[in-house]
Amino acid sequence: MRRSLSLLSLVALSITACVGESGDGPGAGLGDTFCGPALARVDSFMATFAGEEPTGGRYGGMVVVGTVADMHGMSPRAAGDVGSAQHQQFVNLMTLIEADESFDPMPYLATSWEVSEDRTELTFRLREDVYWHDGELTTAQDVAFTYLTVINPASEYPNPGFFQHYLPGEEGVEVVDSFTVKFHFQPHADILESWRGLAILPHHLLGDVPTEELSTHPYGAVCPVGNGPFRFVSRAPGESWTFQANPAFPEALGGRPYLDRYVYRVIPTQTTLLAELITKGVDVYVQMLPNHAATAREETGLTVLSFPYPAIFFVAWNSRVPELSDVRVRRALTLGTNRRQIIEGVQGGEAVLLNSGVPPVHWAFDPSLGDSLPYDPEQARSLLIAAGWVDRDEDGIRENLDGEPLVIELIYNQNRERQQVGEIMRVQLRDIGVELRPRVMEFGAYMSQITSEERDFEGAFVTFETGFRLDDRDLFHSDAVDGLWAFAGIMDPELDRYLDTLQLIPDRVEALPVWRAYQNRLLQLQPYTFLYSALRRDGVNERLQDVVMDPRGDWATIRQWWIAPQDRKTP
Amino acid sequence: MLSFSLRRTLLAIPLLLGVATLVFFVLSLAPGDAASIYLRPGMTPETLEHIRRSMGLDDPLLIRYGRWLLAFLQGDFGYSHFYQMPVRDRILAALPNTLILASGALFFAFLIGILVGVLQAVKEGSFLDSVLSGVTLFFYSMPSFWLALMLILFFSLSAMKLWNWPFSFPVSGIQSPGADLLAPWDQFRDRIHHLVLPTLTLTLILAGGVARYVRTSMLDVIRQDYIRTARAKGLPETRVIMKHGLRNGLIPVVTLFGVYFPFLLSGTVLIEYVFAWPGMGQLMVESILRKDLPVVLAGTFLFGGMVVLGNLLADLLYGVVDPRIRQSDG
Repeated sequence: MRRSLSLLSLVALSITACVGESGDGPGAGLGDTFCGPALARVDSFMATFAGEEPTGGRYGGMVVVGTVADMHGMSPRAAGDVGSAQHQQFVNLMTLIEADESFDPMPYLATSWEVSEDRTELTFRLREDVYWHDGELTTAQDVAFTYLTVINPASEYPNPGFFQHYLPGEEGVEVVDSFTVKFHFQPHADILESWRGLAILPHHLLGDVPTEELSTHPYGAVCPVGNGPFRFVSRAPGESWTFQANPAFPEALGGRPYLDRYVYRVIPTQTTLLAELITKGVDVYVQMLPNHAATAREETGLTVLSFPYPAIFFVAWNSRVPELSDVRVRRALTLGTNRRQIIEGVQGGEAVLLNSGVPPVHWAFDPSLGDSLPYDPEQARSLLIAAGWVDRDEDGIRENLDGEPLVIELIYNQNRERQQVGEIMRVQLRDIGVELRPRVMEFGAYMSQITSEERDFEGAFVTFETGFRLDDRDLFHSDAVDGLWAFAGIMDPELDRYLDTLQLIPDRVEALPVWRAYQNRLLQLQPYTFLYSALRRDGVNERLQDVVMDPRGDWATIRQWWIAPQDRKTP
Repeated sequence: MLSFSLRRTLLAIPLLLGVATLVFFVLSLAPGDAASIYLRPGMTPETLEHIRRSMGLDDPLLIRYGRWLLAFLQGDFGYSHFYQMPVRDRILAALPNTLILASGALFFAFLIGILVGVLQAVKEGSFLDSVLSGVTLFFYSMPSFWLALMLILFFSLSAMKLWNWPFSFPVSGIQSPGADLLAPWDQFRDRIHHLVLPTLTLTLILAGGVARYVRTSMLDVIRQDYIRTARAKGLPETRVIMKHGLRNGLIPVVTLFGVYFPFLLSGTVLIEYVFAWPGMGQLMVESILRKDLPVVLAGTFLFGGMVVLGNLLADLLYGVVDPRIRQSDG
């Protein structure tokens, strides 16, 4: 028996050794040397506020927000994920400007800004009372460092297009003094929009880190040190992120947030998330399913906040495929799709019909386009006949002159909404003699298929979170036809002209007619069947006060959330 | 027996590496790579190229394999790009959670299963036997995620809302948010509270199987001559069953333990997913979906290792429950 135990110990030891040995992969070992001292400095700085923090009234309590996916963190690469991006903007870090309810720019880290008359310079004046959570002041150096970092592709920042009109490299930025920073660029539209989404990074912590190592540096996901209203406390991977109110947050911006603590919880199953909301285990269920929203609305003590969101859902038709190269076929596919019925059936009516890639919350959205291509199977059939697609063998599916049936494969990644829409479209298009074959794919394979050079697909469901700064050149400009995002592969000189012009008209009044013309041209070309922009729904426990959800994001107003003392609970 | 077990364990190492190699090539050759997960509208090809490079995806497949194998043999499991931490740290965070859940469920499943199985065997053909057979078959046949949701419905939602019970069990998670602020004893109680429903789900499913296995095994044993002899000697029935019957009836059940032990690590996937239990199952699903290859490979190796360990444990337990095996080994 002693031999048995020895053997068992040996196996256990070897497993421990396998798991316990530290490698020298990216980020390995840095966690201790970087995070330990960094978080100790945060604790030390925060301790200086002990006893000085406001108490009573609205101050206090903990809120738990539940979502289905873990977030990537605070690194530049992570900004591609919606949860991370919002935590960078509203929770742990700060942007130079923020938006008010009307989406107009408001001072945030920057107290003021000025655009030069020739629209080639933008100067930000920063607040002088914003501290990183470890006690260092936030300065112009941090802003310049962040800018230079994200324009470097090695940072893996997903939105380099924000700064495509800026002068290259260090020519684009100038630190005027400790709290003034100036940017240089070619004149372009929506100059300020880019700065609403870019969270500023701490130069004193990351300045020495090679840019190509930032995405794997422990700062992003192990120990982010921000300057926003909530400081990082801990992260249990795949489980939760915990943040604590930052007592040093500037008074002029509202001061310390009301909540003591904020927990971001990961609950991968939406049914479980709903149960947690109902049993008050979580206070907010982010991005509810439509049927869950209906359930939550019937519960006492819960409210469902529905709000428009800058996201669009469409079917991209690959015009490189012979069947789809004919605009009449693409128009027929849109006309043969009863999009209003889809909105009712899948979204419970809580979506806005689209006919272009401009979401309803964008200032250039043209509501008059809404009924431009209404469900009209008769017209769809006529277009298909005109394009040479006739049901020659009377099997219900149209064929061309060579007898090839009009069969279109529609690919999508696993997602209940897409599955439902695909099924409805399959039935509707069958009615006009088109056989649509929806095919579900693993996400990586799906993305690869629609973005690779081969473009081995015919139709694909795509959802874009567009943000407020629209630039569709990657999607539709002839110069970008071989790029990642040119799903449709159309080339149209008129569209090119609009796309080139739109980015250069600073005045919205002047730009609006061009935007309208651009959207009308899209309507004619039908590279996509635009489906809808769905409302985003968040379930909220009514004990949480002053929660405003709007297109800025789910966490945009977290600084104002509060819980009445009698509604606070202990774990 | 032990030299056989040791030999088998050593032979399993190349087998496990072979399995991990297979997983490496299958996942690597599947369309789309891990970098495609990070594709976002507006991202430039240069940025995508950098992401691929930082993930080591720009090298030819064989070089990537060689690099992975070399590091793996040195105990370096690599880096998880999704969780942005070494795989070792990520697995060390998840593994204890699964082990706690699995070991608790295994303990209660065998305890309840053996008790029910023995009772059924002793009362063979009775009404009680029929009822217990129905109940065990019911739980044995239920999909784990369905049972999990039903338990949440009864013991969390309905208990709280409809029946107004003085207590209800937490729906999900391993501990309450903010539990770190509690006193150590309260933290412990909070953890136990969260363990109840996932453990109960797993226990009910496994106990059904164990009970049916034990019943069959015990029925074989209590029909043996030595049991009849024991009864003829005038031994009390309890002693006959517990000492002579159960001891022998449990020998085949040990095999079941060897099978269930590794299964619990991989078989908790759906339970972990439903209960948001941050263990190995949830980690593996997330990692597969995100093509986080280093985590998948390390997890596969670990699961395989648990199969070997489970079989080894079964071999050792044979010795414990059957003196004949122990003596022949000694």
